[in-house]
Amino acid sequence: MTLLGSILQWLAWWGYCFVAAGAIVVLCIRNREKRRGVLRLLLVLGGVLVGSIFLAAAYGKMKPFPGFPWGWGSLKISITYFVMQVESYEILSPAASNLVAHVLPFFELFLGLWLVSGIARRSSSVLASLVFFCFMALITYAWLRGLKIKCGCGVGPDEETGPGAVLRDGVRFFLPSMLLAIGSFYERRIRATELSPAAVPSAAHAD
Amino acid sequence: MHRTGDSGTRTRGRGRRLSTILALPILLLGLEAVSQGQTPPAASAPKSSSAKPAGKTAKPAAKPAAPLGAPLKAYGSSNAPITMEVFSDYECPSCRNLYENTLRSMINDYVAAGKVYLVHRDYPLPMHKYGYEASRWLNASARIGKFADVEAALYDNQNSWSQDGNIAKYISAAMSAAEFKRVEAIMQGCGFDTPAGMKTAKLTLGQSPDTCSVDPYIEADRALGNKVPVAATPTYVIIYKGNRLPAGSGFVSWPILKQFFDSLLSQ
Repeated sequence: MTLLGSILQWLAWWGYCFVAAGAIVVLCIRNREKRRGVLRLLLVLGGVLVGSIFLAAAYGKMKPFPGFPWGWGSLKISITYFVMQVESYEILSPAASNLVAHVLPFFELFLGLWLVSGIARRSSSVLASLVFFCFMALITYAWLRGLKIKCGCGVGPDEETGPGAVLRDGVRFFLPSMLLAIGSFYERRIRATELSPAAVPSAAHAD
Repeated sequence: MHRTGDSGTRTRGRGRRLSTILALPILLLGLEAVSQGQTPPAASAPKSSSAKPAGKTAKPAAKPAAPLGAPLKAYGSSNAPITMEVFSDYECPSCRNLYENTLRSMINDYVAAGKVYLVHRDYPLPMHKYGYEASRWLNASARIGKFADVEAALYDNQNSWSQDGNIAKYISAAMSAAEFKRVEAIMQGCGFDTPAGMKTAKLTLGQSPDTCSVDPYIEADRALGNKVPVAATPTYVIIYKGNRLPAGSGFVSWPILKQFFDSLLSQ
């Protein structure tokens, strides 16, 4: 386990605690201005934490296996290994598994960087929530079909498909991304009400 | 005026964010490069008695020197760059699926070409009534060098013997009468029930539940599987040039597995 992987995985694994605690803190603040200030700070931190889940997931899929040096060759090995994991869900054909496994790690890397950057946070957090929802649906589907597949996605220890894995994804990944999305919209709403009535329509359409 | 100023601040803010995005991958790569040297190489795969040097063909490794030697449950040459260990239960439908649709093609192709050494590991599951007994028959047959034929017979007729438990019928059909007598002799003392206590307690290496001479080999495989750990069958472990890759489980098609082997071999 490399240093970077350890940091990313720790953030991804325990980030939900900070996001949930932050949400409670925001709800407890009565002063509107103070609440907005704390909320903005927490949204930045939340973006980093939720983004680190995707970065850790991408890292887990792209990192070289022990004994292999970093490089295109090892990246190819890691991706082709991930193709086998995707195929083990027995949902997609070999060709579709190939496509998904080659695209997903790079999509996760992109989404992780997007969330960390804070640009268009509402869009990125909604997209993150949708992705997590899809993952949970996939795990549920595999479990209902009786498939016992390890699903860790590179974040934390692998867990077999089942209620435990769905609960884990729900609490650790889906909940913080949903809170981030709700917080982003709420922050936008506070900002919109603070602007003059004439400025509200244009602000409402801006991202 | 206020809005223009706000827009300027936002533009500067976005500029800073964009520079953060660009700087982050560079930072991550730098951190990775620093920490790369600290990664210890993975431990080599444990070599068991069944993974002895074998012939160059896709046939089961080699005939044992002595009739009562350890069962050789492998295909191909142990000098192949890739070793694949498959933990399976002969009564498990997914294991049959993997064998019929993937491993057979692999044996005829990459194992025959000396690229892959395929090792079978017994991991009979307590939920299967005849799985342990099938493993016993296989190990007994493997001790006289009939591993490949018996494995094929067990998987090909899984639907039948998993219903009535008449495994001997298919074992005898897979070999000559004289060979079957030798297998029967090895099987003496085995009984035909799942060993007592298997469902409740894990047997340790070398601890045989009765006097069956092949049980220690099954238990040795199960002990290896528990170390992986095997959570479901089939579970496979791939070792490339001494580097043990994370275990995978479930079905994988031959084109996808072949693609993975090619990426390993192209290193």
